[in-house]
Amino acid sequence: MLKILLNTVLRSLYRQKAYSLMNILGLATGVTCTLLILIWVEYETGFDKFHEDIDQVYSVYENQNYADGDVFSVYSTPAPLAESIKRTFPEIKYSTRMVTTWGQLILSADGKSFVEDGGKIVDADFFQIFTFPIVEGEKENPFKEENSIVLTEKLAQKLFGELDPIGRKIEINSKFDYVVSAVIQNPPANSSITFDFILPFQFFGKLWSYDLNDWEANTFHTFIKVEEGVDSDDLAAQLQTYIKDRIKNSNVDLDLQAFVKYHLYAINTNKVGSIWYVRVFLLVAVLILLIACFNYMNLATARSERRAKEVAIRKVVGAQRKGLIGLFLGESIFFTLISLGIAVVLVELLLPVFSDLTDRDLSLGINNIKFLFSVSGIVLLTGIVSGSYPALFLSSFLPIHVIKGISRKDSALLRKVLVVIQFSMSISLFICSGIIYQQLKFLRESDVGYNKSDLIYIEMADDFNSIYPKLKNELTKIQGVYWVTAANQMPVNFTNSTWDVDWPGKIKDSEDILFQLSFVDYDFIETFEMDVIQGRGFSKLHGGDSLKFIINESAAEKMNMVHIIGEPLQIWDYSGEVIGIVKDFNFNSLQVGVEPLIMMRNPAAFKYIAIRIGEDVEPILNKIRTVWDSTVPDIPFTYRFLEEDFKYFYTAESRMSKIFISFTIIAFIISYLGLFGLVSFVTERKSREMALRKVFGANMDTVFQLLLKEFFKWVMLSNFIAWVLSFFVMEWWLKGFAYRIDIGIGIFILSGFVSLLITFLTVYQQIWKLALKTPVRVLKYE
Amino acid sequence: MINTKNLIKVFRTDEVETTALNNVNLEINKGEFVAIMGPSGCGKSTLLNIIGLLDNPSEGELHFNGYQVENYTERQRTNLRKENIGFVFQSFNLIDELTVFENVELPLLYMKVSGAERKRRVNEALERMNIAHRAKHFPQQLSGGQQQRVAIARAVISNPKLILADEPTGNLDSANGEEVMNLLTQLNEEGTTIIMVTHSPSDADRSHRIIQLFDGHIVTENMRQKL
Ligand SMILES: Nc1ncnc2c1ncn2[C@@H]1O[C@H](COP(=O)(O)OP(=O)(O)OP(=O)(O)O)[C@@H](O)[C@H]1O
Ligand SMILES: [Mg+2]
Repeated sequence: MLKILLNTVLRSLYRQKAYSLMNILGLATGVTCTLLILIWVEYETGFDKFHEDIDQVYSVYENQNYADGDVFSVYSTPAPLAESIKRTFPEIKYSTRMVTTWGQLILSADGKSFVEDGGKIVDADFFQIFTFPIVEGEKENPFKEENSIVLTEKLAQKLFGELDPIGRKIEINSKFDYVVSAVIQNPPANSSITFDFILPFQFFGKLWSYDLNDWEANTFHTFIKVEEGVDSDDLAAQLQTYIKDRIKNSNVDLDLQAFVKYHLYAINTNKVGSIWYVRVFLLVAVLILLIACFNYMNLATARSERRAKEVAIRKVVGAQRKGLIGLFLGESIFFTLISLGIAVVLVELLLPVFSDLTDRDLSLGINNIKFLFSVSGIVLLTGIVSGSYPALFLSSFLPIHVIKGISRKDSALLRKVLVVIQFSMSISLFICSGIIYQQLKFLRESDVGYNKSDLIYIEMADDFNSIYPKLKNELTKIQGVYWVTAANQMPVNFTNSTWDVDWPGKIKDSEDILFQLSFVDYDFIETFEMDVIQGRGFSKLHGGDSLKFIINESAAEKMNMVHIIGEPLQIWDYSGEVIGIVKDFNFNSLQVGVEPLIMMRNPAAFKYIAIRIGEDVEPILNKIRTVWDSTVPDIPFTYRFLEEDFKYFYTAESRMSKIFISFTIIAFIISYLGLFGLVSFVTERKSREMALRKVFGANMDTVFQLLLKEFFKWVMLSNFIAWVLSFFVMEWWLKGFAYRIDIGIGIFILSGFVSLLITFLTVYQQIWKLALKTPVRVLKYE
Repeated sequence: MINTKNLIKVFRTDEVETTALNNVNLEINKGEFVAIMGPSGCGKSTLLNIIGLLDNPSEGELHFNGYQVENYTERQRTNLRKENIGFVFQSFNLIDELTVFENVELPLLYMKVSGAERKRRVNEALERMNIAHRAKHFPQQLSGGQQQRVAIARAVISNPKLILADEPTGNLDSANGEEVMNLLTQLNEEGTTIIMVTHSPSDADRSHRIIQLFDGHIVTENMRQKL
C-alpha cells in the first residue's frame, strides 16, 4: 500500500513538474527563511546563558524620578552600593562593581607598548558571579594579590606570544606595575560583557581621583548573585529605597533586572530594546511560513482539479474518506519533508551571508535537541496546516461527480481568498520595509545642528593637560587645520548629566530637570560650526571663561529666565553666568530627542581633541601626524572621523532593515508563485473555451482583458488591506523616534503599481503561451 | 438481488427541475444479464448510478440482497460497493499515474488481501483479459479497447456478484466492442449478475432481458429467451 501510494505521489509529482516545483520551492523558501530567523532568534535569546546559575544573577539599576513625571533608568550606581547591600541582605551571595576602563591605557610588557581600551575594572566577586572559564593561573580568586591583572587568551598572546604569561609583569601607563595572575577564555560572541583584560577595583582609585564613598555620584554597574530560590521581586522591593535611605532628597529608586534580560531588554520603559527586533522577526517568520503554507494550499487545491478523477475512482473501488484524507495529508507532509531537505541545504549555504548581515556567528543547531525538536514540530505543523485544506477538499469529491463529468463545487473562491491574504501580507511587508528604509535614510542624512563632516578627533589616554596646549598651538599652525578644540565627550554620545542646577526663578525641588552637562574648550562652537543664537562662545579673547556657561535652546526654554544672557547659574558648587545660547544640536542618536544642555569650560575634565580640517584630507592628516609624533613621541597617533561614528549609530537599525528588506523580497517571491499558480490554473481551465473561440475566429484580446480585470480586482483588494495594515503598524513604529518622517503616499502608490505590473505580466505571459498553442492540441487534451 | 420501489430522482438546479427517474419499479435476479436502453437523456445512467450506490434516489426504496440500502451512510455504501459491485464505464476511468497492474490491483488494496495473493489474482485477471503483456504500461500508452479490458479486469478482480456497465462499448470500434461483450457474456455465464446500459441493439442481444426507459419511466421489459 505504502509503495503504491509513494508511486502515485512521485508520478503525479513528475507529471506536473511545474506545479510540483512551485509547491516545493515555495515551501522550501518559506521554511528556509523561518529557519534562518529561528537560528538568529535562538542566538539572540541565548545571550549570556553560558554562565552557571545565570538565573541567580541580577543587575542593580537606578530609576531616577524627575519633576515632570519622567523616569530615567541607568545601570550606573554609586561606588559603595555593591559592598553595602551584600552586607545588609543575607540573600545576596556575591556582589561586584564593574566599570569599563575610561579611555585608553598603555600596557607595556617586555619593552613593547600597546594601546588598549577593552578593560574591565571589577571586584573579586566578579569571578564568582560570572563563570568565564579561567584556563591558566589562579582559578579560585585571581585577585588575591592587589596588583593582579587577568588577561584574555587573545591579549596574552598579543603581549607575550608563546611565553607563559602567568607571573609576568605588565606596566600600565608607565606608572603602575601589575602581575598576570590568570588567563581567561576570550568572552564568547554571545556575551554581553566583553573585555581584553580585567583589573581589580583598587586600580580605579589609583588612576582617577574619585570619591569611592560617595553615594550621590553614580558611575558603576552593580551585579549581584543571590542565593538559590530567592524571590527577586521581594528583594527588589526591599532594595527600592536603599539610596533614599542614605541620601535625603534623592530621586533615585533601585531596581533589579535579571541578567539574562540584559542583552535584549531596555530598562527604560520608553525605549525599545532589541527584544523588539526579536519579536518583529518572529512575526515575519510566522508571516512568511503562513504565506508559504497558503501558497502550498493554493497550488495543491488547483492541482486537485486534476486529481479529482483519481479520488473518485479510488472511492468507487472502495476507498473510504478517512483513508483519502490520510493520503493527502501524507502527501503534503512528504512534500514538506522534501522542502525541509532543500531548506536545510539552503540554510547551510545562506548562513555565512546571513551571519554577515546580522553580524552574528550563527550556525545550524544540529546538536541542539530543543531546537531540532521545535523545527521538526514546525515542519510537521506546516505539512498538516498546508495539507489540511486540500485533503478535506479533495476527499469530499463524490464519485458520482467525476463520473458524470459535471463541475464540482468550486474551490476558486477559497483560492482567491488565499492569494488575497498572501498578497496583503507581502505588500504590507513591502510597504513597511520601504518606510523603514526612508526613516533610516532620514536619520542618516538629517541635519544634526552642526557640521559633522571633515572633523577628526583624538582620544587622549592620560596627561591631557600637559600635552594639549602645546599640541593645539602647533596644530593651528598647519595650513588646512581650521579649528582645534577639546572636550570631555564628543557629541555622538553625551553621557554626563546632572539635576543639581540652580538659577534665579527656579521653583525649588519641583523643578528638578535633568541637564546634560558637557565640558568644552575655547572654540568648541566654532570647530563644530554650531549656531549661536544669542551671546557668544567660549573664547580666549574674553579671558578664562571658567565660570561662564553656554546653554542650548531647550535649556533656555526649560529654565524660563528673563534675560538669559548674563543671568547667574549654579551647577554643583560652580556659580557663574550664562554667556550664550546655542541652537539645539543632537548629541545622541536621533532616536533620542535633544535634551537641555549646559556647557562649561573645565580643562581638568578634557579627554578629546577635536580638529576641523579642510577637504584635502590626506596631506593634512599627514601633517597632523608629524606634529603629533614630534610633540608626543611615546604615544602612537590614533584618530577617528566623527562622521563614521555617526554611521555606527545606526548600524543596528540599518542591519535590521537590510534583513527585513531581504525577507520582504522573499515573501514577495513566494506570493508571486501563488499568483502565478492561480493565473496558470485559471487560464488552463479556460484554455478549452479559448481554443474554441479561436476556431471560430475570435481574438485573444477580449479573453485577456477579462482575465486581467478579474485579477486586478483581487490584487487591488490586497493592496487596500495592506495599506491600512501597514499604515497603522508603521505609525506605531515611528512613534519611537524623536525625529521621524511623515508617512508619504508614494510608497503606497508604488506598492500598488508594482503588484499590478506583476499581475499584468503574469497574465500576459500565460495568455501568450496559450495563444501559441494550436487549437487542435488544446481540444485533444481536454 | 436488486429491487426498487417507486424510485424517483429529481435534479434541481437554480431554476430548472429535471425528473430523471419517475416511479421506477424494477427487479433483477441473481445471475441475470440485463440491458437498459432508451434515448439519450431518458435516465439510464442515473438509474445505474443509483443501483451502484454512487448516487441517492430522491424518493423510493432500493433493496440490495434483501437489505434496504437507500439511506446508507457514505461509509456503508463504500463497504457494500467494494464487496459486491464492479464498475465498467464508457470512458474507462483508469488512474493515469498507475500502471495497468497497479490499476487492477487497486480494489484489493482496500480489501486487505496479502501481497502474494494480490499478485496472483491480478496476473490471473490480466491473463484472462488478454492484457498481461501490458502490465507495466500506463493507461495512456494503451488503445481504447485495451484500456476497457483493463477496466473490466479491475471490475472483476474482487469477484463481485454484480457488474454495472455504462455503455462499455461506447468508445470502442466494433472489433474491440465485440471482444468486451464476449468477456461480459462469459462472466455472466460464470454466475455474475450484469446490468449494462447500451445504445447498441446487437450488444443488447447478448442480454437475457432489455429494459426500455423513456423519460424516466420503464416502458417495456422484454424477456429474451436464449436458445
Ligand atoms: N447533475 C444533474 N443536474 C441536473 N440534471 C441532470 C443531472 N444529471 C442528469 N441530469 C438530467 O437527468 C436526465 C437523465 O440523465 P442521464 O444521464 O441519466 O441520461 P442518459 O439516459 O444516461 O443519457 P445518455 O444516453 O445521453 O447518456 C437528463 O435530462 C439530464 O439532463
Ligand atoms: Mg448516460
